[in-house]
Amino acid sequence: MSRWDILWDHRATIIRGFENTLILFSVSSVAAFLLSSAIVLVIQTHRGALSGFFRTIVDGMRMLPFLMYAYILYYGLPSLGIRLDAWTAGFIALITYHAAYFAEILRGTWATLPKGQTEAARAVGFGNLAMYRRVILPQLMLRTAPVLGNQLIVCLKDTAFLMIITVRELTAAASAVQSTYFIPFEAFVVAIALYWLTSMAIEVLVARIGLVAERRGLGYGHVDSRR
Amino acid sequence: MDQAAFSALLAGAWTTAWISAIAIAVGVPLGLALALLREARVPVVGHLIVLYVSLGRATPLVTLVLFIFLAAPLFGFPLDRYTAAVITLILNTAAFNAEVWRAAIRGFPREQVEAARAAGMTRPLYFRRIMLPQIWITSLPGLVNEMTFLIKASPAIAVIGIVDLTRVTNRIAAVTYEPLPPIIAAAVIYMVLISAFVRLQRRLDERAHRLTM
Amino acid sequence: MSTLVVEVRNVSKTFAGVEVLRDVSLSVARGQTVSILGPSGSGKSTLLRCINWLEEPDRGEISIAGQRIGIRPDGKTLMSDRELAAMRARIGMVFQSFNLWPHLSVLQNVTEAPIHVLGVPRDEAIERAERLLDKVGIAEKRDAYPYVLSGGQKQRVAIARALAMNPEVILFDEPTSALDPELVGEVLTVMRALADEGMTMVVVTHEMAFAREAADEIVFLDQGRVVERADPETFFNKPSTDRVRQFLQRYS
Ligand SMILES: Nc1ncnc2c1ncn2[C@@H]1O[C@H](COP(=O)(O)OP(=O)(O)O)[C@@H](O)[C@H]1O
Ligand SMILES: [Mg+2]
Repeated sequence: MSRWDILWDHRATIIRGFENTLILFSVSSVAAFLLSSAIVLVIQTHRGALSGFFRTIVDGMRMLPFLMYAYILYYGLPSLGIRLDAWTAGFIALITYHAAYFAEILRGTWATLPKGQTEAARAVGFGNLAMYRRVILPQLMLRTAPVLGNQLIVCLKDTAFLMIITVRELTAAASAVQSTYFIPFEAFVVAIALYWLTSMAIEVLVARIGLVAERRGLGYGHVDSRR
Repeated sequence: MDQAAFSALLAGAWTTAWISAIAIAVGVPLGLALALLREARVPVVGHLIVLYVSLGRATPLVTLVLFIFLAAPLFGFPLDRYTAAVITLILNTAAFNAEVWRAAIRGFPREQVEAARAAGMTRPLYFRRIMLPQIWITSLPGLVNEMTFLIKASPAIAVIGIVDLTRVTNRIAAVTYEPLPPIIAAAVIYMVLISAFVRLQRRLDERAHRLTM
Repeated sequence: MSTLVVEVRNVSKTFAGVEVLRDVSLSVARGQTVSILGPSGSGKSTLLRCINWLEEPDRGEISIAGQRIGIRPDGKTLMSDRELAAMRARIGMVFQSFNLWPHLSVLQNVTEAPIHVLGVPRDEAIERAERLLDKVGIAEKRDAYPYVLSGGQKQRVAIARALAMNPEVILFDEPTSALDPELVGEVLTVMRALADEGMTMVVVTHEMAFAREAADEIVFLDQGRVVERADPETFFNKPSTDRVRQFLQRYS
């Protein structure tokens, strides 16, 4: 039996791992985006301690490696009596970590919006969430699409770190299959190909959004965040 | 945390630092070479580099380091874990650096090249004396930015058993049964390191800005 | 040995199907200043850029001090990068947008090519650069970087940079067009002095007063053709074509 046949026989394991990766990625990125839009609203329209608090969190979080942050949640918190299972810790880590990056991207672009709009948004404040949701946020999304796209790919890649805290995602699945049958080349080539295809899909999606943006006359603004 | 835990932590930090440093030292010029090759528009080579950059962008380091460490021996290249880790980080960061360099090369003003050629410089000479020093200044902020990403992604090498600054916290906790202090200490070290790079990047950004004035 | 420093013979150049230069000929004797005038888009920059082979003409020949540029003596094969560079080292060029090297100080801008192209010893190059900076009136800025200089100062550094190579000829492409009006004078003063000293110069300009006073000959280009060629006196007072008359009305 060839090595590829062995892998084919265990495709169910790989597929389950891939599904887990997709679930981790899609749920976390959507939740992170929602969280980040709330954080940005606070940072941009609120002038109190709350805004400063979120700014500090956003800046601090971006100085931590993702795995280190996951360690804090998974291995560190039990010392304080908070015990999370690997999946919960993984989700919380992905969502809050990437929310910080998304927030920074959105904030940077909000700062470049024409003054009138910013003023209008300030006036809107917390009172009128609908205005934020319908006017400001769509513009921010359209303008930052390529950078958000890059960050989405980083989020996808960060799901792989979760194997280290025992989540059975794609890389963990490939690792399990290869170690039993010793087919590392085949197992990881397939895993890498799946990550690659997923990232391509993300890029196609982002390009679509970019087209919409262009049609509405919203060129991609200058954003200095990358990756 | 006691003395032993503290020195273990420093040893972990040192491992992270030297492995990252080698990856940066090789990955920056390698990225330049890739960018130049791509801009040279050699048919097949160009496409291969595009594929490499695309794969490099999409592959998690955890997956890549496992792949390289475990698959290389099958092809007759047994690698020790440190070599595997260094190669992985180089392959990853070079892909991103190539994009930074390429943007600088593309944005390099044609007039600068013409002034150099008009002054009698040959291609190698104007590349070395006029173009490289300038694209170095314009690329450096982006390259430093990639360095922070490299450091943030480096804990992936723990998966092949390297005791870096992240992994060492497990080791310490296994002895002290108190995981939180070493984890917090390691997090602080990362933050100090990365914030230094971020500050450096801002300074370099200002310098790059002056160049284009 | 001919005294012609620049010899352009029947040069034509086409960009994307448009003939930008049509059968242009031009000669510049040693010590002469030739001014090229003409409306914008008439091919002046292209002609200048052909002279040092920054653009490759489609037809015709160009020689610098009797040696053909771009094509080897066999008349067929193109010069190598190295051979071209050696030719260009003998031709100075001053650009409309200065094109100083921003990563180098004023002094380094002037010494860069002499040291690395001509192999002049560093001390000697610096000494000479200091003299030239003094000559163009900018000695006190020797250690400044280009971004702090005014346009007029940048252009004077660019002239010193060209002079530092001891060129056979200097080509000026609208050297004052990017300058604020109050800075034009300082650059023209330097150029007049050079012309008086006997530097061989080809100057594309819209400064009619300069052309009238400093040039030995005016060449008028229109739609890629040399329409008129005359000494300044004749050109400005008794132009022989309507095209030149129209042009002069608009520019003076
Ligand atoms: N690199 C080029 N590619 C295409 N067209 C060009 C190029 N350079 C110049 N041209 C065209 O050639 C014509 C002459 O240009 P130029 O020599 O710059 O004129 P001038 O300097 O007299 O204003 C213009 O129509 C210009 O658009
Ligand atoms: Mg011109």
